[in-house]
Amino acid sequence: MFEPVLTRNIHRPYSEKITTYLEHGGYNAVRKAFAGTPEEIIDMVKRSGLRGRGGAGFPAGTKWGFMPKDQDIPKIVAVNTDEGEPGTFKDREIVERDPHQIIEGVIIAAYAIGAGRAYVYIRGEFFLGVKRWIKAIADAYEHGFLGKNILGSGMNLDMSVHRGAGAYICGEETAMLESLEGKRGNPRLKPPYPAQVGLFGLPTLVHNIETLACIPHIIERGPEWFAGIGTEESKGPKIFSVSGHVNRPGNYELPLGISLREIIDEHAGGVRDGKRLKAVIPGGASTPILPANRVDVPMAFETLNAAGSQLGTGAVIVMDETTCMVEIARRLAKFFAHESCGRCTPCRIGSVRLYELLDRIEHGKGKPGDIETILETANGIDGLTFCPMGAALANPARSAIEHFREEFEFHIEHKGCLVKAVYSS
Amino acid sequence: MALLDTHKEDIERHLAKYPDKHSAVMPLLAMAQEEYGYVTQDAIGEIAGILDLDVTHIKGLIGFYTMLYDRPKGKYLLQICTDLPCALRGAEALSEHLCRKLGIQPGETTPDGLFTIENVKCVAACDCAPVMQVNGHYHENLDEEKLNKLLEDLRREAEVSEPAHYD
Amino acid sequence: MAKTVTIVVDDIEYEVPAGMNLVDVCKQYAGVDIPVFCYHPKLGHDGNCRMCLVELATPRKNPHTGEMELAWFPTLQTACTQKTSEGMTVRTKSQKVIDGRREILEFLLSSHPLDCPICDKGGECPLQELTLRHGPGTSRMYWEEKMHLGKHVPLGELIYLDQERCILCARCIRFQDNIADDPVLAFDQRGRHQQIITASSPGFNSIFSGDTTDICPVGALTSADFRFNARPWEMVQVATICSHCPVGCNMSFDTRTDREAGGRTTIKRIMPRQNERVNEIWICDKGRFAHHHMEHPERLTKPLIRRNGRLVEAGWEEALREVTAQLQHAGENVAAIAGGRLPNEDLFALQKLIRAQGSHHIDAYPPVRGGEFTASVGVGVGTNLADMGSGDAIVVIAGDLHEEAPLWWLRVKAAAERGAMLITIGGRETRLDKFATHSLRYDYTEEVATLNALLGCMKLTGLPRSVDGLKEAVKGARAFKPDKAIKDAAEALAGANNVIALVGHEGLDGQGSHNLAQAVANLLMATGHFGRPNNGLIVVWPTANGQGASDIGVRPDYRPGYQRIPVPGMGYTDILAALADNTLRALYVVGADPLFDDPAAEQALRSTLGTIIVQDMFLTATAEVADVVLPSQSAAEREGTYTSGERRVQRFYPAIEPCGQSQPDWLIIQTIGKRLGHGNPSPSAAAVLLEIAKTVPQYAGITYQTLAEVEPQIPDVGGEDLYYGGTAFRNRHGLGVQWPAAAESGGALSAHPVEAAESIEPEEDMLLVVPITLLYDAEPVFHKTSLLHGRVPGPDILMHPEDARYLDIADGDVVRLSIDGKDITVVVRFDEQAPEGAALLPRRMQVQGAPMAATFATLVRWDVEALER
Repeated sequence: MFEPVLTRNIHRPYSEKITTYLEHGGYNAVRKAFAGTPEEIIDMVKRSGLRGRGGAGFPAGTKWGFMPKDQDIPKIVAVNTDEGEPGTFKDREIVERDPHQIIEGVIIAAYAIGAGRAYVYIRGEFFLGVKRWIKAIADAYEHGFLGKNILGSGMNLDMSVHRGAGAYICGEETAMLESLEGKRGNPRLKPPYPAQVGLFGLPTLVHNIETLACIPHIIERGPEWFAGIGTEESKGPKIFSVSGHVNRPGNYELPLGISLREIIDEHAGGVRDGKRLKAVIPGGASTPILPANRVDVPMAFETLNAAGSQLGTGAVIVMDETTCMVEIARRLAKFFAHESCGRCTPCRIGSVRLYELLDRIEHGKGKPGDIETILETANGIDGLTFCPMGAALANPARSAIEHFREEFEFHIEHKGCLVKAVYSS
Repeated sequence: MALLDTHKEDIERHLAKYPDKHSAVMPLLAMAQEEYGYVTQDAIGEIAGILDLDVTHIKGLIGFYTMLYDRPKGKYLLQICTDLPCALRGAEALSEHLCRKLGIQPGETTPDGLFTIENVKCVAACDCAPVMQVNGHYHENLDEEKLNKLLEDLRREAEVSEPAHYD
Repeated sequence: MAKTVTIVVDDIEYEVPAGMNLVDVCKQYAGVDIPVFCYHPKLGHDGNCRMCLVELATPRKNPHTGEMELAWFPTLQTACTQKTSEGMTVRTKSQKVIDGRREILEFLLSSHPLDCPICDKGGECPLQELTLRHGPGTSRMYWEEKMHLGKHVPLGELIYLDQERCILCARCIRFQDNIADDPVLAFDQRGRHQQIITASSPGFNSIFSGDTTDICPVGALTSADFRFNARPWEMVQVATICSHCPVGCNMSFDTRTDREAGGRTTIKRIMPRQNERVNEIWICDKGRFAHHHMEHPERLTKPLIRRNGRLVEAGWEEALREVTAQLQHAGENVAAIAGGRLPNEDLFALQKLIRAQGSHHIDAYPPVRGGEFTASVGVGVGTNLADMGSGDAIVVIAGDLHEEAPLWWLRVKAAAERGAMLITIGGRETRLDKFATHSLRYDYTEEVATLNALLGCMKLTGLPRSVDGLKEAVKGARAFKPDKAIKDAAEALAGANNVIALVGHEGLDGQGSHNLAQAVANLLMATGHFGRPNNGLIVVWPTANGQGASDIGVRPDYRPGYQRIPVPGMGYTDILAALADNTLRALYVVGADPLFDDPAAEQALRSTLGTIIVQDMFLTATAEVADVVLPSQSAAEREGTYTSGERRVQRFYPAIEPCGQSQPDWLIIQTIGKRLGHGNPSPSAAAVLLEIAKTVPQYAGITYQTLAEVEPQIPDVGGEDLYYGGTAFRNRHGLGVQWPAAAESGGALSAHPVEAAESIEPEEDMLLVVPITLLYDAEPVFHKTSLLHGRVPGPDILMHPEDARYLDIADGDVVRLSIDGKDITVVVRFDEQAPEGAALLPRRMQVQGAPMAATFATLVRWDVEALER
């Protein structure tokens, strides 16, 4: 049985309180980190093989290494709690139930890169999360983990919470920085990367909640322990948010590399109501759909890429045999059309065009040739957009057609749903 | 009453958080919305003055962020998620039920000013789908029966007290 | 010399500057037009439209072999976001690129109304143009799903937005944010619902709003002036020069023969004409929209003669006979006042006539001095504000450039943003202070004292020997005590490579403006900042041709070309006094209207027994008291030249038929001159300029031909590829000629110590009133353009709240001010930016009476009940 690390505290009573956290060894990692040099900490994170948990999977240690070494340049840590990828609900749970774990990760990261300021960006919808963050930060100040001369180390770190106000795109790191600066959440041009020019023009380290949650454990248990979990290119524990047609939806902390089938069948209790599995989205709404015959794939960055999808946020959305894939593609397209920031042409217009085409087919108004148009449109968006959202909005429709083309053709030809036809008879 | 009369300390606290005061625009807008129920025209002007921003910029922010409103909404904001994970567990039918029950469409407010329905994007509670936030409170694993009861409770609550706001 | 690199564009190698924008470099060096919508050479990149996609590769070391190889990006890249580097390789015509561009265009067109046949931009539209070159012929999308949006959304009363046509490239927003510093446009909503909005009051509150219609790559932004007015291909472009301020913006009258106008040629719109040294590709809204006075029904079409106390229409012969008789009678007891907006040819003819009569009583109106200093140490030939940047300094004194010379404001601000030191010296805060590195404040009347103190504390290592009297001037300046701010500014200034000083005249009379300009000239001479490009003096004249008027001797103390007159004639103030006591027999006013905006002219002009001859386009306040009124042509009806504040002589061309029987001013004057026996009229305006060039040494060699010469402008905005820079026009009709100052041509230079003005101790209940200039005023040539009326402020006086409270006045109170025995009624407006101790009174407003120079007024609180009685 895999021993949960990131979620080890969340089921304890009053798990969000600093006293609970301290009782269970909290903030020991900070002390341990302070005993080492910043370079040693960066090296540990590099050796751990930790990759970002927000979706892109960029090696965390490399990111830390990009931060300028000049001590005179003020630096910032920006904490991304803008969890908005449909199907993903891990960060909210950690923030609400174990915020100190993240604060500890932030302190260590700030120490390693020499940052004196941290901002937490959190979705405006997470009212409880905001409260928990504010309380946790206040308590951390009170206990001397934040503020001036932390634990006598000479290190200073100030931290505050910044609430978002409803925009999926602000989960993209540069859009998040724009939003933090009081602007519309449009992604920025890269380069320069946030590590060079980030918040307020200063070098900024941006990390997802789950990534930061890993940090104290890497310091405490050592990078070798962390790197011992997972696969060749995907190390450590990972929280998988499982939703959809399963018996026990929820967050499951498991080693990277575990098979998708095991997550669904053993941890989430299998497909509900005895139905057969039809398809799975393995990494949140923006990752390509996998058909049931591919669920033996190990849940790791490299293996999912090879299987034609992505690890993303590790949000597993399970669909049973009664699911209409045209409707799935349509609903996901609707989400992305709603959440396009509108800055660049292909995403702004393409997202709506994709949705309209899918909506037509779903409602029996599709015409022969529409499927090709959808594929061409999706390809015309992916790679031409300003930010990675282009790929995100092309993925669902493209993968749905790739694996379930006959359902689209049926919709066009019979002006109705194949799945409904099968299951209502 | 202006925000500077009622929330001077909070405003200063927010301004102190950032090296560039423009960053304080989001907290100040949230503050105005909490105070007045939505961001009033006066509040936009006042915040623009405090932060040395053009009102056009603030209008643009309100338009960009779905949680900011420049017009009144119902006492209870019913935000039902209809994204994929919730939809797989019946959110769409539930949303339709809610609309039928209140006689309004998503985006509308009941004539008595009590309820506004919105179909919102994923609120990160997919394990408890279908989900609805009521003034920020999560109501999880909903079905028609639970929803009916919730509406009754809210109506009763509204008769005796001001609705709890976002906490 | 900038570092160069070798890049490959479509298989051909080019040597190009390193770090240059790839779109610009492809156009300028490879002749390859990369299509763009959101990119603009003046606005920089934004990367949002995705039209400029190219295949891109950069050299990289192969991690396995260690050898250098070209690494191609897997996806298409936007050229606008790339900077040239060694070995950069670009494909702009490959199938992948063609497909990518077609994809983008299809997206844009699939949500565009395609209403080109009724669109103002049709025919000069980048979207149209690029669709023809790169677009798909058909769309795969469903037409009926096109989104329908607002078609005529007013962004204020000047600019309209067609939301359906808008492709959301943000050029307008970026222009307003980054160039105009009026961030009054923004995106509202997001995704497909994103729209441009303005929430300012008045809507789209910017004096540069019209420029957005030029750079808009579609027909989304149109001006109230031009929309549905004409099609681009029907119009004829006629080069002109703006006549509203001393910047001398190059513009074009776009004209068309109109059925509505009875077959006459009419001006349909005004467009900027590119001149990178003057206005680049921008003009202000006054220049763009205030042209309607030229075709206004109230234009004078015939001469008028006073008969039995009333002005009645008369024939030219009758009028000329009358004028000749009066001038003959006056002999040398004649004076002339010429508007500073008159072209050089007219000014020359006028001074020649007056001097031929034996008089030197001639002055420009308003009487601002300083031309002799720009003639000696004015900015060097080749000066370009766009060259000023890090290490350079710009000093702006006694004026508000934003209101008085908008394009200079724009370009000085841009220089400051590029890192140029900006020192503002003034009696109040203006919009430029935000960008200033040093802001020096003085009490009005302490202008010269401040400049002297600044010069006095400069650490000078040796003075230029080419200047006489410099030692004495510096010694004189040392008597003034600098404060810390002045010392800091002096220290900063001492380290500057190039220094340009723009001197205004706010609150000053003629003599005051002379003294201040001298003090500034002393500073430039002592620090050696003269006689070379990007160094020297610019006078911010109150009119378009104040510099020309001075050069040409429309002043009592100099003949044309700054030849000093031993016994000068009377200047403006003395002329008024002489009229009042009837020692002058005739006054010839050309293109000036002192009665409109100088309260001091009132008594003199109304009471004099002398003859008043007025030559103007309109029956102005001054014309109304005249004995003879002669109708003159507008600048659109004739040719001529202006000399800008940077001493650039620029030529304008006739665009429309003359109004009624009006004639060019120079011709009327010369016709009168002939009748007085001073020789035959010139055959043409060009011939007048030839004579000027012979008489004024500085203008030697300047002809209509040399003024029409052009050279390529970079960035090449006006080309066939409209999308690159918008619809601003290529300059085909002349960039003008900047004449060399004495410092460059080996002329004598001299400095003189300047005495500070006496400071006046006000009496109890007195208020210092400082006249200020606003861009939008009620001057006839502007006020006849109803388009901008809504933006002309009311009869307001701006006071600091502290002052007002001290005087027990509330915001909005109506007060009466008694200035030199004359009462005016104004509304008090609190203004935190007004200086304490002085009230600001905009000149040339609906309620006239603002003094010409700072003066003390007695405050009389308005008795509302008395008003109602």
